[in-house]
Amino acid sequence: MLGNFLISGFRILLRQRSYTFLNIIGLSLGIAVFIFIFLYIQSEIRYDRHWTDENRIYRVSTEFSLDGRIEKLAMTPFRLAEDLRSEFPGIPASTSILFTDPSDVNDVYSLIYEDEVFEVPDVTIGDSMLFRIFDYDFIEGNPETALIEPQSMVISLAVARKIFGNKAALGKKVKTLIREYTITGVFDKQQSPSHLVFDAVVSVSTLPENELSSHRADWFRLVWYTYFKVADTVDPSRLESRINQFTDEKISTFIRERDLQVQGYTHYNIEPITEVHFNTALNYDSPTNIDKGYLYIFGIIAVFILLTASINYINLATARSLKRAREIGVRKVLGAFKKQLMLQYMSESFILTFIAFIFALSLVELLMPQFNTLVGKNLTLVGSLFSSDGLFFGVLLILLIFLLSLISGSFPAFILTALRPVNVLKGSNEIVGKSGKQHFSAARLRKLLVSIQFFVSFGMIVATLIIYQQMHFLRGHYLGFEQEGVVVINVPQDTTYWRRAPEFIDALQKNEWVQAVSAPSDLPGYTHGKRVFYVGDTNTAVLKTLSTFAVDYDFFKLLDIPVLEGRCFSRDFHDDTALRLILNEAAVDYLRLDTAVGTMFTLPQSASGEVVGVVKDFNYSSLHEKVEPLVIFLKPKWSRYILVKIDEGNKNAAIGQVAETWQNFNEGHFMHYTFLDQKLESLYSGDLKMLSLFFYFSAFVIFISGLGLYGLSSFLIEQRSKEIGIRKVLGGSERQITFMLARNYLKLVLLSAVLASPLVYYLMSRWMDTFAYRIAINGWDFALGILLTLSIALATVLIRSFKIVRQSPSLSLRYQ
Amino acid sequence: MIITEGLTKVFEAEDVETVALKSINLKVEQGDFVAVMGPSGCGKTTLLNILGMIDDSDSGRYYFLGKEVTRLSGKAKTDLRKNNIGFIFQNFNLIDDLTVWENIELPLVYLGWKKKARRQRVNQLVEQLQISHRKNLFPVQLSGGQQQRVAVARAIVARPALLLADEPTGNLDSMHGEEVMNLLNDLNKNGTTIVMVTHSQRDASFSRRIVHLFDGQIINENINKLL
Repeated sequence: MLGNFLISGFRILLRQRSYTFLNIIGLSLGIAVFIFIFLYIQSEIRYDRHWTDENRIYRVSTEFSLDGRIEKLAMTPFRLAEDLRSEFPGIPASTSILFTDPSDVNDVYSLIYEDEVFEVPDVTIGDSMLFRIFDYDFIEGNPETALIEPQSMVISLAVARKIFGNKAALGKKVKTLIREYTITGVFDKQQSPSHLVFDAVVSVSTLPENELSSHRADWFRLVWYTYFKVADTVDPSRLESRINQFTDEKISTFIRERDLQVQGYTHYNIEPITEVHFNTALNYDSPTNIDKGYLYIFGIIAVFILLTASINYINLATARSLKRAREIGVRKVLGAFKKQLMLQYMSESFILTFIAFIFALSLVELLMPQFNTLVGKNLTLVGSLFSSDGLFFGVLLILLIFLLSLISGSFPAFILTALRPVNVLKGSNEIVGKSGKQHFSAARLRKLLVSIQFFVSFGMIVATLIIYQQMHFLRGHYLGFEQEGVVVINVPQDTTYWRRAPEFIDALQKNEWVQAVSAPSDLPGYTHGKRVFYVGDTNTAVLKTLSTFAVDYDFFKLLDIPVLEGRCFSRDFHDDTALRLILNEAAVDYLRLDTAVGTMFTLPQSASGEVVGVVKDFNYSSLHEKVEPLVIFLKPKWSRYILVKIDEGNKNAAIGQVAETWQNFNEGHFMHYTFLDQKLESLYSGDLKMLSLFFYFSAFVIFISGLGLYGLSSFLIEQRSKEIGIRKVLGGSERQITFMLARNYLKLVLLSAVLASPLVYYLMSRWMDTFAYRIAINGWDFALGILLTLSIALATVLIRSFKIVRQSPSLSLRYQ
Repeated sequence: MIITEGLTKVFEAEDVETVALKSINLKVEQGDFVAVMGPSGCGKTTLLNILGMIDDSDSGRYYFLGKEVTRLSGKAKTDLRKNNIGFIFQNFNLIDDLTVWENIELPLVYLGWKKKARRQRVNQLVEQLQISHRKNLFPVQLSGGQQQRVAVARAIVARPALLLADEPTGNLDSMHGEEVMNLLNDLNKNGTTIVMVTHSQRDASFSRRIVHLFDGQIINENINKLL
């Protein structure tokens, strides 16, 4: 029986080629996009789930407030990890890792091996506990002991391959210009997607003892990430308060001993390691972290896209019911039971879905490289099927085939099999079911389903428009400084650099196409520090936490940042080498200073200095954040970057000159450089990724919906060809008749748009809230969305109606 | 009113060419009632379609009210048709989704009549044709005879000078058929020119003139002697 159904199903699909073709294209595209989104979401939720004790590993983050403003950082003091394991018996392992910013060229190490220089993108510092908590696959070396000895270095497999090829790395010596390291381990991070992004770890014991003890002593020096693992028996819900009880006491003692005038609080939050990847609320956190909201949105889009393809099938199948009516009547008269007929239609939808599935898998395989580029990942279909949760994926795919065939097949099956054979065989054009309203309800169902497609298409179009405009706005927004033609070079990691720095900078300046050079320690777009100051005269001073920038003399001139009050740092003032400060406008407002110039700032336990000027606000972070109060000091010796303003008209020549000067002064060092505008653009790479994903997903939704609408409308218009003929005979013009055909769809588009708008408005407002600088969502976006949806719907309907409306009515009337 | 000179129409199927009309010369005067008769496939309906300007001839000339139709644009033909010609079909060709009233009203909508004028005219007509009690029903809810009466009402609602009827009683029993023929007869008496295609001698007996078609050619033409 089933064989019979399948054979008959195949024949029907072969006979109705264009219908089968439309359905297979729509379904396979839908399934392919679904698989892509699934793989993407799967790769995101896999973060940090592969550690053996994933449920027992936690990260600590810091929340503190000294002056009313709450700061949340992923970083903690160094000693916290040591205290946790010595004071809490339930914590057998804890570790500190030094903060690094993988997007910062300064964290790129140049390693020298056998006179050749190799770049290692991200190097951090950690202790031997690190690999006890995070059990990376060790290819070489012993994870337990690898980070114990000073000057030990553990590297990733990728780095090992780059430096040593296929030879063993263990025991090999590599050098930087200041130290020599022994490779004590090689780990494979490929199989371990994690928010931890380092490529190499240097043992913490390498740090000089005095530096280490100063880190150990200071509770306010927040540059370390802290992780710990709890014993099976520990209840993590009570752990956080116990940890804070302990640290509160330690910090009060610290404040008392140092005689710091601090009011406020410090609170340590602990979070499961599996949640870290989804935490976007902290400063100085992993750049790969993502808001879970995006994953939910993508998940919903995936379901919508499948639904859209499924709707096409249902609509086309029920619309064709007229053509199938006679066949059903005959089958029923011959004694087919309703159940058998339903099975017949379900098997048709199963065959279609199955074929579409094969196409979809090929499509996914084919487009995977493009998709990987788009999302910045390295996903593979095969890899996913054979991974740890590959079985789940496989079962899901099979379930999907059945579910899709069931959803797509059941509606048409119900509607078709409810027909009464008497009516059908009488040759009536009307299909009337038992209730007399069967035909009507199928038409209504189609209207509802088409409206759902319009709803989704409209929503995606408007969302894409809004995201696009916001990104356009960000690109065009003046940041308060000149960002074009500025090359950022990181200074060589070399203790002797400082001796040759003045001459080097001088030489750079002398190049023909170089307009200006500055050597600051902080830059817009790069991570910067925060510091605690006493503001005001010593006896009435209040403690404030403020962002800080350390720059050199030419910083403001090079970036064209105007001075509003007082003066810039200048070589003409010898005092400037002592602590002299410049504030931004936001700092003046925040500190409520009537006359900023002359105000005293004191660093706790350190120097005091006065404000010499105020500069106009410039956006030193991404436009997600407002310009925060900023204190700028003059510290030419802290220089971490060299900014070179070049003649944009002679860009290549200028870079060539800079590189040549670099070679003359810094032999054996790579010149790591980037352009400031590119670096600033990369602050929005996450948002741009969202924009392109949204754009492609919308395009798919619209294309699949359009395909269905094309099939449906061509069928319905064909059905109405007699009516069109009559209307023409009675004097209806082509325009009047075309409008009549389109009118129904217009109504559905408008209705869907009205229903979708509040939802889109709500969701997009929430997204916009993540930007401090944003456009207003206005009615025009929605009007344009309606116009676009309408145009697409109309174009689809009109392509098909054009021919039928144009043809002579004698044709349509003759064939009745 | 109607003059055709050498009208010819050829249908081309994939490899066969069928000559539907061969050099038709026909003249219909104002107030005439012409029946076109002939076996199936002789070209009767094709001739009617060309006269009604819903199909074009391949060669020859067709003058309607003194204008050469063959040279007119599609829009001009539509204008000429909707202002002067009414159609009645064998299978009624009512629009299923419109009520009786709306079906009858439709030509007036396309003529751009004002709503009030339309209401007046349609109401007058449904009274006259005794279908006012069914004006809110849909075509499927009517008998064949009732449907054809609606179709006649729709055809004459705009008071056309020419009425083209294609087997108007073909789908009706003899009683309903006679009813419809009486209706056409009355219209003709009041001045409407009628060209009717029919198989039925009885229907043809209502006309003033009978044109016989065979294989696309007029083989004879005679004055109805019964009149």
